[in-house]
Amino acid sequence: MPAVELSHITKTFGPVKAVTDVSYSVEKGELFGLLGPNGAGKTTSLRILLDIFKPDSGSVTVLGGPLTVAKKDRIGYMPEERGLYQDIPLERCLVYLGSLKGLSPAEVKERSAGYLERFDLAEHKKKKVKELSKGMQQKAQIIATILHRPELLIVDEPFSGLDPVNTQMVKELLREQRDQGVTVILCSHQMNLVEELCDRIVLIDHGKVMLYGDLAGIRKRFSGNAVMVRSQTELPKLPGVDSVEPINGTVKLNLARGADPQGILQELARRKIPVERFEIAMPTLDEIFIRVVQGQEDPA
Amino acid sequence: MKKIGLVALHEYRRHVFNRRFIFGLLSVPLVIILLVGLVFLIISMDNNTTPIGYVDHSGLLSNPVPVPKAEPPYKPVPFVAFDTEEAARAALDAGKLQAYYVLPADYLTTGELRVVHAVQIKDPARVQFYNFLGANLLKNTDPVIATRLVKGADLTVQSADGTRSLSSNSWFSFLVPMIAGIGFIIAMFTSGGYLMQAVVEEKENRTMEVIVTSVTPNELMAGKILGDTAIGLTQILLWILFIVIPILVGRSSLKFLQGIQVSTQTLVVMLAVMLPSFVLVAALMATIGATVSEAREGQQMTGLISLPIWIPYMLFGLLMSNPNSPIALVLGMLPLTAPVTMLVRDGLTILPAWQIAVSSAIQVLFAIGGIWLAGRAFRLGMLRYGKRLAWRELFVRSKPA
Repeated sequence: MPAVELSHITKTFGPVKAVTDVSYSVEKGELFGLLGPNGAGKTTSLRILLDIFKPDSGSVTVLGGPLTVAKKDRIGYMPEERGLYQDIPLERCLVYLGSLKGLSPAEVKERSAGYLERFDLAEHKKKKVKELSKGMQQKAQIIATILHRPELLIVDEPFSGLDPVNTQMVKELLREQRDQGVTVILCSHQMNLVEELCDRIVLIDHGKVMLYGDLAGIRKRFSGNAVMVRSQTELPKLPGVDSVEPINGTVKLNLARGADPQGILQELARRKIPVERFEIAMPTLDEIFIRVVQGQEDPA
Repeated sequence: MKKIGLVALHEYRRHVFNRRFIFGLLSVPLVIILLVGLVFLIISMDNNTTPIGYVDHSGLLSNPVPVPKAEPPYKPVPFVAFDTEEAARAALDAGKLQAYYVLPADYLTTGELRVVHAVQIKDPARVQFYNFLGANLLKNTDPVIATRLVKGADLTVQSADGTRSLSSNSWFSFLVPMIAGIGFIIAMFTSGGYLMQAVVEEKENRTMEVIVTSVTPNELMAGKILGDTAIGLTQILLWILFIVIPILVGRSSLKFLQGIQVSTQTLVVMLAVMLPSFVLVAALMATIGATVSEAREGQQMTGLISLPIWIPYMLFGLLMSNPNSPIALVLGMLPLTAPVTMLVRDGLTILPAWQIAVSSAIQVLFAIGGIWLAGRAFRLGMLRYGKRLAWRELFVRSKPA
């Protein structure tokens, strides 16, 4: 049974259709990517999932059924815009947010100690939140989201404002959560990070699902019209190749419509051109995203 | 319920242990202390204890009875007899007297006397000298009658139906409900202001979005309103202590303070009418906070709430002339106008129990309605960043966003 299932969700705000017939499910214990350009309807779908908004039509099941008040304590949500009380000390803020999730102050202090240490925030816990840097607040927000050990973790743009070291820390943390059986929904614009972390994704644009499914399968579906070739000799003009793009010592051959990668390989062999590497070029998620969003490709 | 308590406790701690609250809390007693200090300064400036001389040609003060005791906070002024006006004048010129009186030989028949002074004699000293003269004029009269004549009457005004009375000794008690009303209003708007600002800020910095994934909008609003009411009551309690302690300390020496007392009726009105009104105002402030996009915008809208609350003071003359008039009765029942009206009426009349009960029930119902409205406004307006929620949407839309 999926941890989260949105089925044919539609939501309008006045004349604006925020999401139309959106369906996706997130399996238990997976790290799932929710992608889309600004204003695509990602956050609206998350808010519907969290029962902040009611959908006009469609249904949502969370952790095996409709979202109840009790289930909220099993969910950790970090919104895109950070939401911490600015005028109270960090530790007090964590205690309050943790207590709303059913933890005692002692439990919060005990559980947060390790995370504060890990994220270099231990010495800042008595400072007011507004005295912390943006990156520190970001890390504090992540700690507040996972303190109560949620079964479902929803993080919206968790890497924004983080330097590479902290980005790495958060990546490790998300993997660690996934490894512990937590279902993670990662909403992000940073395609390389989604590509690195997620096995499955949904891409929403203009309120509609444009891509959904296994990331490897999606990439494979968008591949096939280019090959990557590395050779010590300069490649001659080959039949079936439209254009050539050198990329970091490798050459990307963009194939003409109807051209076959196997045919290109045979042609290289026939001409006795030494080849060190030959592979079908898989598009990056970034490229797929741009192609889908700019309407170069039909949705799945 | 537990989460409501957690939210309330958080709100309470967040605002009460805050410099702004402590400053606001102390500012009222500080102003009171300043005013009292000013009064004592003025009194002390009037308290010139330099002796007053007298030259008596009438024989009235040849063997004077002692000077009646000066009433605190005034200090006794010594009176010095002189045989001749020249001697008194010399003492005045030497700065040993602030003035001297001359009683001519025919004083007892004409009542005329003359005063010579370097600086104008202040009232306390003049009154003491006249009391001295009065005591000596009455020295052959029964001391009880003499005292009564010097001190005057203690008048109690009572209504024809016997339901209300006002003593000249307890004049201050009449002011207690009025002062309590003003204190309540200040506390309501101070703590309500915190609540409104907190709601707007939480919307602005998106804390709301995190909180509503832990509590329901109704729990959140109920907790906030409860916390806000506790903040206001803390404020009032501490102000009462700031006022009551000096009164208890000062009433042994300051006679006018002895007249101050709070009736059971006043306490009942405070609890039964003012408390739910407090909750209603808090709920309305939270509703405003949930509908506006900026704190400044919200502050402008609080006028809609404060105006009806002040109406009874605007109609004070009307309420005073007839505290049981139909308009007084209606104002005492309507939400927002009820708390001050009932307190003002309480100072002027004996309120029938049924009126307190009905007014209280109306305030409780509106307070509950206010909490519901705040919860609804919050649900509809919480995620409208930078956009105001129209009030009609609160009543028209059936499905939350």
